[in-house]
Amino acid sequence: MQGFPERGGPGPGPGPNDLAHLQATMHTIELACASIQMHINPAAAEATILSLCQSPQPYKSCQFILENSQVPDARFQAAAAIRDAAIREWGFLTADDRRSLLSFCLSFVMQHASSNEGFVLAKVSSVAAQLMKRGWLDTTAVEKEAFFNQVNQAVLGIHGLDVQFTGVNFLESLVSEFSPSTSSAMGLPREFHEQCRRSLEIDYLKMFYCWARDAALSVTNRIVESKSEVPEVKVCNAALRLMLQILNWDFHLNNNSVKTSINVFSAGARLDIDSSKRSECTLVQPGPAWRDVLISSGHIGWLVNLYAALRQKFSREGYWLDCPIAVSARKLIVQFCSLTGTIFLSDNGQMHEHHLLQLLSGIIEWIDPPEAVAKAIGCGKSESEMLDGCRALLSIANVTTPFVFDRLLMSIRPFGTLTLLSTLMCEVVKVLMSTYPEEETWSWEARDILLDTWTALLVPLDSTGGNAMLPPEGINAAGNLFALIVESELKAASSALTDDVDGDYLQSSISAMDERLSSYALIARAAIHVAIPLLTKLFSERFARLNQGRGIIDPTETLEEVYSLLLIAGHVLADEGEGETPLVPYAIQTYFTDNMGADEHPVIVLSSSIIGFAEQSLDPKMRASVFSPRLLEAVIWFFARWSCTYLMNPEEVRETQSQDHQLQSQQLRKGLHSFFREHNQGKLVLDIIVRVSVTTLLSYPGEKDLQALTCYQLLHALVREKHICVHLVSLDSWRNLANAFANEKSLFLLDLAHQRSLAQTLVHSASGLINSEASNQYIRDLMGHMATYLRELSSKNDLKSVAQQPDIILLVSCVLERLRGVATASEPRTQKAIYELGFSVMNPILVLLEVYKHESAVVYLLLKFVVAWVNGQISYLEAHETAIVVDFCMRLLQLYSSHNIGKISVSLSSSLLSEAKTEKYKDLRALLQLLSSLCSKDMVDFSSDSIETQGTNISQVVYFGLHIVTPLISLDLLKYPKLCHDYFALLSHLLEVYPETVAQLNSEAFVHVLGTLDFGLHHQDAEIIDMCLRSLKALASYHYKETASGKTGLGLHAAGHKDSGGNLQEGILSQFLRSLLQLLLFEDYSPDLVGSAADALLPLILCEQGLYQRLGNELIERQANPTLRSRLVNALQSLISANQLSSTLDRINYQRFRKNLNNFLIEVRGFLRTM
Amino acid sequence: MSDSEEHHFESKADAGASKTYPQQAGTIRKNGYIVIKNRPCKVVEVSTSKTGKHGHAKCHFVGIDIFTAKKLEDIVPSSHNCDVPHVNRTDYQLIDISEDGFVSLLTENGNTKDDLKLPTDDSLLTQIKDGFAEGKDLVVSVMSAMGEEQICALKDIGPK
Repeated sequence: MQGFPERGGPGPGPGPNDLAHLQATMHTIELACASIQMHINPAAAEATILSLCQSPQPYKSCQFILENSQVPDARFQAAAAIRDAAIREWGFLTADDRRSLLSFCLSFVMQHASSNEGFVLAKVSSVAAQLMKRGWLDTTAVEKEAFFNQVNQAVLGIHGLDVQFTGVNFLESLVSEFSPSTSSAMGLPREFHEQCRRSLEIDYLKMFYCWARDAALSVTNRIVESKSEVPEVKVCNAALRLMLQILNWDFHLNNNSVKTSINVFSAGARLDIDSSKRSECTLVQPGPAWRDVLISSGHIGWLVNLYAALRQKFSREGYWLDCPIAVSARKLIVQFCSLTGTIFLSDNGQMHEHHLLQLLSGIIEWIDPPEAVAKAIGCGKSESEMLDGCRALLSIANVTTPFVFDRLLMSIRPFGTLTLLSTLMCEVVKVLMSTYPEEETWSWEARDILLDTWTALLVPLDSTGGNAMLPPEGINAAGNLFALIVESELKAASSALTDDVDGDYLQSSISAMDERLSSYALIARAAIHVAIPLLTKLFSERFARLNQGRGIIDPTETLEEVYSLLLIAGHVLADEGEGETPLVPYAIQTYFTDNMGADEHPVIVLSSSIIGFAEQSLDPKMRASVFSPRLLEAVIWFFARWSCTYLMNPEEVRETQSQDHQLQSQQLRKGLHSFFREHNQGKLVLDIIVRVSVTTLLSYPGEKDLQALTCYQLLHALVREKHICVHLVSLDSWRNLANAFANEKSLFLLDLAHQRSLAQTLVHSASGLINSEASNQYIRDLMGHMATYLRELSSKNDLKSVAQQPDIILLVSCVLERLRGVATASEPRTQKAIYELGFSVMNPILVLLEVYKHESAVVYLLLKFVVAWVNGQISYLEAHETAIVVDFCMRLLQLYSSHNIGKISVSLSSSLLSEAKTEKYKDLRALLQLLSSLCSKDMVDFSSDSIETQGTNISQVVYFGLHIVTPLISLDLLKYPKLCHDYFALLSHLLEVYPETVAQLNSEAFVHVLGTLDFGLHHQDAEIIDMCLRSLKALASYHYKETASGKTGLGLHAAGHKDSGGNLQEGILSQFLRSLLQLLLFEDYSPDLVGSAADALLPLILCEQGLYQRLGNELIERQANPTLRSRLVNALQSLISANQLSSTLDRINYQRFRKNLNNFLIEVRGFLRTM
Repeated sequence: MSDSEEHHFESKADAGASKTYPQQAGTIRKNGYIVIKNRPCKVVEVSTSKTGKHGHAKCHFVGIDIFTAKKLEDIVPSSHNCDVPHVNRTDYQLIDISEDGFVSLLTENGNTKDDLKLPTDDSLLTQIKDGFAEGKDLVVSVMSAMGEEQICALKDIGPK
């Protein structure tokens, strides 16, 4: 690699020798650029360019190249090199150097404004912006003023259009550099970026905006008047882009002005949830200071007129719908729609409304009348304007209430905005229906944006849960729209039959569809009085059709329609619970109040008709002809969702409602709720649901998806509530299920994970039994057979040969998975039975582990059962039980280890080998989880006596376990992220909580553990490094404290010893001090880690002061440059002495040291890493 | 235990001799075994798909021949039965490697087993030979299924 020796910083003009040297450098770089372009030895060429970036003070060469080279790529690289070098060496450049670099860059772009190599200019301009930012906090306001004056002159257009364009572009780079999300890394703490951001926002942003506006204004007339494209368009476009960028700025000051100090970590996240209904939508909230510029000065009017004038020109030469200036103008208009907050006077929203109306009057041209617009697009017009119109509606919807939204349009059209929105969407849906199922078209995008708009309008505004009510006209519009949507979905469903949808695609589109359906549901609930009867009618039509046509016509089309209807009905009637009990949707609660009779209540009618339909699946004939697995999937899904909300809703009345509401809704509840409650239809419905579930498990062999829905969604949801369990356990159908589970062969044919889940569900349902005794007995009855089976199998004489038979393997796997399911469902009430269950199979487990040592799939199940069992039991166990369990775990670990240590799989197939490795990884992860569970006994213990009474010491047990497990964990296996995470989590926990026991590990195990720690320190994942640093801190501070009080601490491990070859090995603390310093000074790591690194470094330094001095001296001696050397000396000195750092390990001292280390790294890392 | 499961839990006396067992396709999982095109395979991938929107599920298996490492695929309706090979693994202590490519193994009851050939693949061969040459005490696991056998793993049990 070539270097570029330089002679000091920028000095007097180049002498003849210098000139020759500069030319040589330029030539080298040009050559390298050329060879990269032509792919001749690109690696060497890149190295050449890199060496320019990394050489000390390459500025003169770079400037020379920029000014003289004919190769644009070379100039580009030179600019990049200036940036890299200057950011790196900033600390020891003189103020003059800094200034001259900056002004060089700026005058370069200004002088070459007319050149046509835009990318070089853009690069130099961004370099200037970065240099500007780097020095921002050290530059006085006066200096900045002088500098920005030049920029202003350029932006005003005094030096011509090209310079004006360049000036605007420079401001764009500057703003993007100061905005945290787009800033480039400078190796400085986050506070720096945050301070720059604040400063720019307070003092300059508005000024820049005005400049951009003035620049745009200055050329507007030329553009509007001219008949064809003029060069001014370029400037205007750049100015519009800059304005858009400034409006995209994440304004903070007005929102959280009370905040005194900057919290750099949360400053990025908006806390004002109230004002933003949807997280994805960015609101523009610049605050009152911007009112004069944006609102009162007629700025909006100008912008809207500008675009209107552009629209006139679209037929002319040089302008079209998607030409850059039109696109920028539209984007800016849409952005203005999101303007909100304190920029508007608090005059009841009048000013805001006026602002929106002004915008809307321009936007309306893009989307109204919808039929004509859609038709024009169908004939080939570009859809971008229409889509932008939709986006504008979305933005407006995000900052207004439905009422205001609707009223906006009233003054300029005979209908409200909601009606427009509805007709617009109807048009889009019509287009969708006619083009379905072809590939994605504009109508998809339009539909998604418009759906978002509806969602923004209809999602509850406040936490009280009340939906925003629409004006009557809007309700009708929503009703019409919903009818059309359902029609289109049904059509799509029946027509999509013919096309072969590929499975993966289907999976990925399901979540998208879910989101879409929940938006539909919002629309339906807005017009609930129409929506539910409509659904009821559509359902009954289709049920009738199915019954009439049985065996005569092909039902597939109707089935598909019923499928879609079930999904829609599920979304309309009930919300997704996500683990909570969802309430009856507000719209349904409030609307149907005058419907007194339970039989007429629309919701009850609809629900009953669906339940009645599902009940028919119990009839084998119907099942064969109508209930395909897919249809039943929809039924089960519907049941799961519906029953969470409606089935046996507990008798509570929310007190949060206002008085008159309460009266109304109580009456409603009488009708709706009690209908499906215990003493009414509730039990009957529950019975139907259970019977249908059992049917899916028994009569649909091999239909995994269907059974998964039944097991995970429906049955899990049923047993979540205790009051439902009470009824469940009294049902014959539920008893049949439990019986079938214990005895029936066909349930052993379910997917293993499903069996586990079923076991869990059944055990959970035991909470519905009268008392703990009954619950325990229930579990014994349920699982007794299986435990006996394992015991009998393990005591067979011919076990070894029998066990390998595939049918036995399958059976053992099933039983183990069921046991694991039971174990995960541990509750205090059933703990006793589950402990006994596990206890009775402890020996069989060990026998099976031996027998199946080559059958990794079974071994994994064995381990997972033990993990689940121990995890569920450990905190309840009494001392003698704990001793038994601990002993069992240790035997298990030893057995596993003896089978696997030193084992090498031999196979031709690389995929089988990697499978084998993955299996090993999963096993080890399970073992680590086992150890972690054991660890928790020391934290959470509900037993009556202390475990010490039996002589069990958890820390020793876990260390012993770790001792067995760690040799199995190779560094290779630690590449599995989850294993790595678990391992280090356990290790750091152990070291932090029980450092004293670590000294008891023998030296081989100890070295292995610490070897992995060293590995972890150099890991990619910051969290892992953090855990390792915590472990180090724990180790070192333990040693320091112990030795300070005269004990041995880590003893031999820390002292260093001679290895077998007679070489002196350093003690482990010395090794870590060395490698941690190496890491901190010379390697890459996330700045977030500096804090924890400081915590680890301080005790290490205190333990090994002599070594620290030695390492420091080595560093100093290596430094040739005297200025840098003295800086290093000072920095090393103040690292351990500044801020009254003392030699104790208390909180305050750690804090001080963190500060010291931060300063130290800022001071020296820059030059240490590069020189 | 009731009668119905007696039949299920206990395997028939003569079943031990069978080379393959029938098992419902839906219950065969990844990492299990399956016979595809009359070859014993380890399943490395299972996916279910449906025949048409309202049809029944089918399982798609990708298996790797446990002896030849060839990749094989099969599609079976999930309620139908598949053949599952009886895969047995036995540990033997390695006594000798002969020049002609056969190994000599010590069986549990003290006899020797001399009919097993070393794998032909070079890398596997060197792994075994190197270990043996270093004088370690090696235990080899021999996998057998459907009348074929092969060494599938080795393990050093010698004292350190």
